[in-house]
Amino acid sequence: MPHFFFNKKLILLLVGMVFLVALISFSLRDRTNATLPEQIIKDTVGVAQSIVAKPANYITGIFNDIDSLLNTYEENKRLKARLEEFAAVQTEALALKKENDKLNELLDKKESLKAFNPIQATVIARNPDQWEEKIILNKGSSHGVEKNMAVMTAKGLVGKITLVTPFTSEVELLYTNNPNYRVSAMVLGEKEAYGLIEGFDEERNELIMKRIDSSLTVKEGEQVVSSGLGGIFPKGVPIGEITEVSTDDFGLTKMAYVKPSADFSILEHVVIAKRSTTMIDGSDGKATNEDLSNPPEANKEEAE
Amino acid sequence: MVRFLIPSVAVLLFLLEPEFAMLSPIEVKGQIFYLVPRFLILYLIFISIYYSRQRAVMYGLFFGVLYDVFYIDIIGLYSVLYPLICFLAGSIVKIIHQHLVVTTTISVVLVAILEFVLYQFFYLIDFTTIPLTDFLRSRLLPTIIANTLFLMILGWAFKYLINARVLQRAREVS
Repeated sequence: MPHFFFNKKLILLLVGMVFLVALISFSLRDRTNATLPEQIIKDTVGVAQSIVAKPANYITGIFNDIDSLLNTYEENKRLKARLEEFAAVQTEALALKKENDKLNELLDKKESLKAFNPIQATVIARNPDQWEEKIILNKGSSHGVEKNMAVMTAKGLVGKITLVTPFTSEVELLYTNNPNYRVSAMVLGEKEAYGLIEGFDEERNELIMKRIDSSLTVKEGEQVVSSGLGGIFPKGVPIGEITEVSTDDFGLTKMAYVKPSADFSILEHVVIAKRSTTMIDGSDGKATNEDLSNPPEANKEEAE
Repeated sequence: MVRFLIPSVAVLLFLLEPEFAMLSPIEVKGQIFYLVPRFLILYLIFISIYYSRQRAVMYGLFFGVLYDVFYIDIIGLYSVLYPLICFLAGSIVKIIHQHLVVTTTISVVLVAILEFVLYQFFYLIDFTTIPLTDFLRSRLLPTIIANTLFLMILGWAFKYLINARVLQRAREVS
């Protein structure tokens, strides 16, 4: 019965299509946790991947070494020039740090937005199709990694952890078009200007910093660091340097293009930072809608 | 020995893809070019052409699911596209000649189609906002060139390996 057989195939195809759409829409939802089969697959592939990543990292390491060897003479000259300067800066920094500690002690201020516990991790894979900028690290929840921790290199901020399995974790890079991905940042000018890093310009390959108060002056070449006010990233992590300043779409606030200081193309070793003081809610946290700026105790007292 | 070599090469290529992806994007004269390694699907297309379409579709489904879960987090994207591409490759080759140059061209064209479908999908769900011309210039073209180079270097080795397996199976049957 060829007719019946054809129908059966058609039904199978239709059921398959429905199943496919259901699967895609299920996985497209904003999921906070991976399901168990996903975790198992992720961990298994992750372990195999980290085995392959070792020799691969070694080989790229050799190429980088050769590259830096070729520039040694120029670099040495430059470094020597800065060495004298460095000694003076170091003593000053040490003195300032001591003074800062003493002042903090005086104020009885123990928590700081700057403090974080570092976890070293190695990049084992990068999403090969490169549509979503994502990297995978070899440390997971069994090493103490949690969602929303900041990820950085020695040069600057890279991204944040979006998904954790026992032995791997996924990082969403700053280079993303996700409109919910914002980093509270400040410009280290004469007067600190606060703004938000929101999205990036694909043509210029630079980050966009928006919502800077238009009364403040922001100049090209000034450094941008994380402000620690977003509740996730520690304070003072370098993000980049301003390359161009303009006004935003409505002309109410300023907007700046920021060239990131971290090198995103070759990421090997990164540091996951667990901030000592965290206070997050909303879509990044537990979404309890709790009023964080007015703690409930204070409200109660007022009521009484 | 050859029997296990075919799946293990596939696993190796699957694990090597992200390592090569770390070399991308490259910057030439201020222009950014993305090179997407598509080694595994090229290999699966070769299996589909020279060995067995059904086997290739099964491998495609398996690695597609792995790919989806590990990298993309959207289940049902690669796990459909990979088997589909393998199926197409196996069907096309029944009509035309199986010369290495012809199969290389077919593989590259199929990878280009895969890349284009993915672009359309990600554009649809707002993962990317780049216009079509930018996609063609900064992604599709460099990807095709890189993967063609890869096939030109290793295509004959794939063919050699798969032929060895086919011969072995023929001997087992007789």
